[in-house]
Amino acid sequence: MKRVVVILLAAFFLIFMNARSGGADTTLEKINRTGTLTIGTRTGSPPFAYINKNNDWVGFSIDLVEQAVIPVLSKKLGKQIKLEKKESTPQTRIPLLTSNAVDLIAETMTDTKERREAVDFSLTFFVTGAQFLVKKGSPIKGIESIGGKRIAAQQGSTNARIIRERVPSAKLLEFPDQPAAFQALAQGQVQAYTNDGIQLAGLKAKAPKPDDWAIVGDFFSHEPYGMAMRKNEPELRDLVNAGLAEAINSGKYFRLYDKWFGPKGEVPYPLTPETKQFLQKQAVPK
Amino acid sequence: MNYHFNWSVLWSGQSGAWLLQGLVTTVELSVLAWLLALILGVISGALRTVAIPPLRWPAAFYVEFFRNVPLLVWMFFWYFAVPPLLPEPLREWLFDHGAEFWAGVCALGVYHGARFSEVIRSGIQSIPKTQFEAAVSTGLTMAQAYRLIVIPIALRLIIPPATNESLNLLKNSSVALTIGVAELTFQTRQIETYTAKAFEALTAGTLIYLILCLAIAAIMARVERRFAIPGMIAQGQTGEF
Repeated sequence: MKRVVVILLAAFFLIFMNARSGGADTTLEKINRTGTLTIGTRTGSPPFAYINKNNDWVGFSIDLVEQAVIPVLSKKLGKQIKLEKKESTPQTRIPLLTSNAVDLIAETMTDTKERREAVDFSLTFFVTGAQFLVKKGSPIKGIESIGGKRIAAQQGSTNARIIRERVPSAKLLEFPDQPAAFQALAQGQVQAYTNDGIQLAGLKAKAPKPDDWAIVGDFFSHEPYGMAMRKNEPELRDLVNAGLAEAINSGKYFRLYDKWFGPKGEVPYPLTPETKQFLQKQAVPK
Repeated sequence: MNYHFNWSVLWSGQSGAWLLQGLVTTVELSVLAWLLALILGVISGALRTVAIPPLRWPAAFYVEFFRNVPLLVWMFFWYFAVPPLLPEPLREWLFDHGAEFWAGVCALGVYHGARFSEVIRSGIQSIPKTQFEAAVSTGLTMAQAYRLIVIPIALRLIIPPATNESLNLLKNSSVALTIGVAELTFQTRQIETYTAKAFEALTAGTLIYLILCLAIAAIMARVERRFAIPGMIAQGQTGEF
C-alpha cells in the first residue's frame, strides 16, 4: 500500500515537472509558425457565440475576433492568419489557455481581479450586469426580494458569488449550464434564475414563449467582458487591444453591435449612451 | 507551461471548508445510493435466478433498462421528469428541502442497483445447484432457501466485484453536479471560480477521491478476509497465491 502511494505521488510530481518546462515559443511566434489563431469560445451563449439554426458557429465575440483582431495580427505577421475555434466553458477556459490548447478566450468572460492573477485581459468589449429571469407576475423584483427564495445560477459565474455574500438566506442552486437552469425555472424547482442581463435577454428571446418571462431588477453586479490571454504575453495583448480600439474608433464595433443587438439583431439590447461613451473612452485614439 | 502554481489557495479563505462540505455531501450521497443499490441489486439479482419466469422477467427488464441508459439521463429524469408527477404541496416541500440531493440518490442508486444485480446474479449462479436443492430438501421453502442459504453465500462470494462497483458508484456521484448537488467535484469548480486556480483545485479533488477510494478498497479487503468461504474464494489474497 505504501509503495503504491509513493509511486502515485512520484507520477503526479513528474507530470507537473513536465508541465512546467517546454513551450518556449511566445504565443505570437506560435501563431506565426502555424498561421492560425486558436480561440476558445462558447457554443450556447447567443448572441456572443453559439451554433445557429444553419449549424454555423457564429456570434458577436467571434465576429470581433474575425474582423478586429485577425486583420491586425495578419498585418503584423505579414500573412493571412486563419481562425480556429474550440469549445470553452466557464470551467475549462482558464485551463485551456494555460495548457496552450487555445491562444485567446473570446466569449462571455467577465474580467475580475482574481482572474487577472491567472490570465491577462484585453480592453472591455461589452458591459452588462446581473439581473433575474422570472415567470411573468412573479413577486421577485430584484435582489432585495430574493430572501428565502430558491434561486438558480450558472456555476462558475460571478453572480452566484455575489448572492451568496449579499443574500445568504436565498437558497442558491448552481447548474453547470444554461439549459438546465432554465428548465429548473420553467418547472418551478427554482423561482428565479440569475445571470448577466444580456444572457437572460438571449435566453428569453430563444424561449418558446418569450412573453411568459420577465427580466427584473437593477444590475446587482458590474460585468465587463474581456478577451483573455495567457499571462505575460505583452505583444499579443497589445495587438488584440489595438484591434479592438481600432474597431471602436472606426465604427466597425458599432456596426457589429447593431448586427447582433440592434432592433433586427438576434437579441435586441440597445447600447446605452453611458456604455457607448465608456467604450469610446477606453479606446486609445490614434 | 506558463502557469504559476499557488497551492495556498487550497487552505486560505473558504476553500478548505468547501472541500470538506463537498466531501461530506459526496459521502452522504454515495452511502445512501449504495444502500439503495444494494437492496435493489439483491432483490433483482435473486429474482433473475429463480425458476419462475414471471418473476424473472421484471427483474431482467429492470436491469437492462436501467443499466443501458446513461447515468446523466437518469439524473435529469429524477430531477426534471419525476417532480411534476407529484402532488403540488409535496413537490414544493421537496424543492425547499434539497430535491436535487434526493434525485441524485435515486438516479445513482437505481442505476447502480441494476449493475449490482448482475454481480449478485453471477454470485448466485456460481454456487453449485446442489446447495439450493439440499436447502429445499431440509424443508425450507424456496423464499427461505434464498434468504437463509443462497443469498448469504452469494454475498460472501461477490466481495471483489462488489468493491469494484462501489468504487464506480462513488466516482459516478460527481455526475450529480449537473443537477446542482454541491458535492466534491462541484466544490473544486467553486474554488476555481473564486480563485481562478484550476489545476490546484482539480488536484485537491483528485487526491480526495483517490484517498476515499483507497480507503474503501482497504475496508473491503478486510471484509473479504473476514468473510471469505474457505475453498470457494481465494481468502482475501489479492491475486497472489
